[in-house]
Amino acid sequence: MKFDISYIFDALPRLLEGALITLQVAILGFCLSVILATLITIARTTFQSRIYNGFIAFYISFIRGTPILVQIFLIYYVLPVFGLNLAPFTAGILAITLNSAAFVTEILRGGLASVPKGQFEAAKSLGISGFALWWKIILPQTFITSIPPLVNEFTMVLKATALLSVITVVELMRVSQQIYSANYHPVEILSATFIIYFLMCFVVSRSSVILEQKFKVKRA
Amino acid sequence: MTPPFLEILEINKRFGDINALKNVSLNVSIGEVICIIGPSGCGKSTLLRTINWLTPPDSGKIILQGDIIGSVTGKLTIKQNRLLNNFRARIGMVFQQFNVWPHLNVLENVIKAQVVVGKKNSEEAKIKAIKMLNEVGLKDKFDEWPDNLSGGQKQRLAIARSLAMDPILMLLDEPTSALDPELIGEVLTVLRNLVKEGMTMLIVTHELGFASNFADKIVFMDAGEIIETGAPREILKFPKTDRLKHFLDKLSITSF
Repeated sequence: MKFDISYIFDALPRLLEGALITLQVAILGFCLSVILATLITIARTTFQSRIYNGFIAFYISFIRGTPILVQIFLIYYVLPVFGLNLAPFTAGILAITLNSAAFVTEILRGGLASVPKGQFEAAKSLGISGFALWWKIILPQTFITSIPPLVNEFTMVLKATALLSVITVVELMRVSQQIYSANYHPVEILSATFIIYFLMCFVVSRSSVILEQKFKVKRA
Repeated sequence: MTPPFLEILEINKRFGDINALKNVSLNVSIGEVICIIGPSGCGKSTLLRTINWLTPPDSGKIILQGDIIGSVTGKLTIKQNRLLNNFRARIGMVFQQFNVWPHLNVLENVIKAQVVVGKKNSEEAKIKAIKMLNEVGLKDKFDEWPDNLSGGQKQRLAIARSLAMDPILMLLDEPTSALDPELIGEVLTVLRNLVKEGMTMLIVTHELGFASNFADKIVFMDAGEIIETGAPREILKFPKTDRLKHFLDKLSITSF
């Protein structure tokens, strides 16, 4: 069996459509997870409640301690038992968000730990508190130091979306499966899929370098 | 009799087993410069930090121009929080570690609180910031990032940031202790100008030279209590208590 590149050219438009869905799921899921993780982090620092912190610690260890594939199945097949029927796309976003939020929370914890207590105090002593304290003073510093691990986490999310093919989200992997199970040319189609995933992740990791450079100027 | 400008009333604070402040009371008149000295761990920084409630005391009151902050412990309600922010905005604070914001450039550091707390528009805030930075001698550093500044420049930036809020009282917590010796002078010069302008200041310091020249009053603290209060000459030349004598002896040995 010889490698026939024309199959790749034929499949390319559909594969790219799939890649677009992959990007949508990844970006949406990641953004939601960053928002969720930020809220978790702020609440954890503000309330210092043992019950709440215990609950978050439990959530994080649960997410970290189980395969993401199982989590995806759980959300797609088990939630309907409790009357919550989600479309594949929605279930996929939810799974990605809940999974990634645990890791992003850990990343932000590290970032926040690198912000000295005096930064809070200086702001408070000037009368800045509550939302403005976080939004203007603390979060920018937390996120700047967290750029490399956050970008890394985004590439993890981008790759994890391939698993959503098992709950019929028509993203890149699913499209690729559909094509090669119809034309029986998995070698060509999977090679193309492989390269598209790689290119997406490559661009993302390069963007980390650019972002770091951009903010490094500020912190010299 | 008019009430004092700032009244610190029976402040108590414990950290676990340590009694950091024991029933400390102090009155400050408008325009007065008070230096607080004492051995490390004597509670002088804690006292300063209770005044703007960065370290809420266990009991006691702080009264600034008749406004009482006190008997507020634990979680603050939204209304109490607003009062507290208003209170803090009137009190400038300068820290040993400067605590300038590294993600904002020099100008933005001074603008930020004016816009967020003072509700000024950014143009007004900028004009004020430029004025303040000129006063502390940072006029050619507007676009610089704080990480590129020397310690003395950072501290002067921190002072400008506080002054931009038009504080009626300045709290300075060992403003020169983290500086290299050759940089202390530039910060003291800025403080000296503030004294001349009549700013009311409470300064925790080890700079006895500065204290004796510019303070109206020196407060000596030890083990969470105010031991002696008086004019610089009295305190430094004629200490009444053994504890103060002992403290001054130790200082003169190290700073021969």
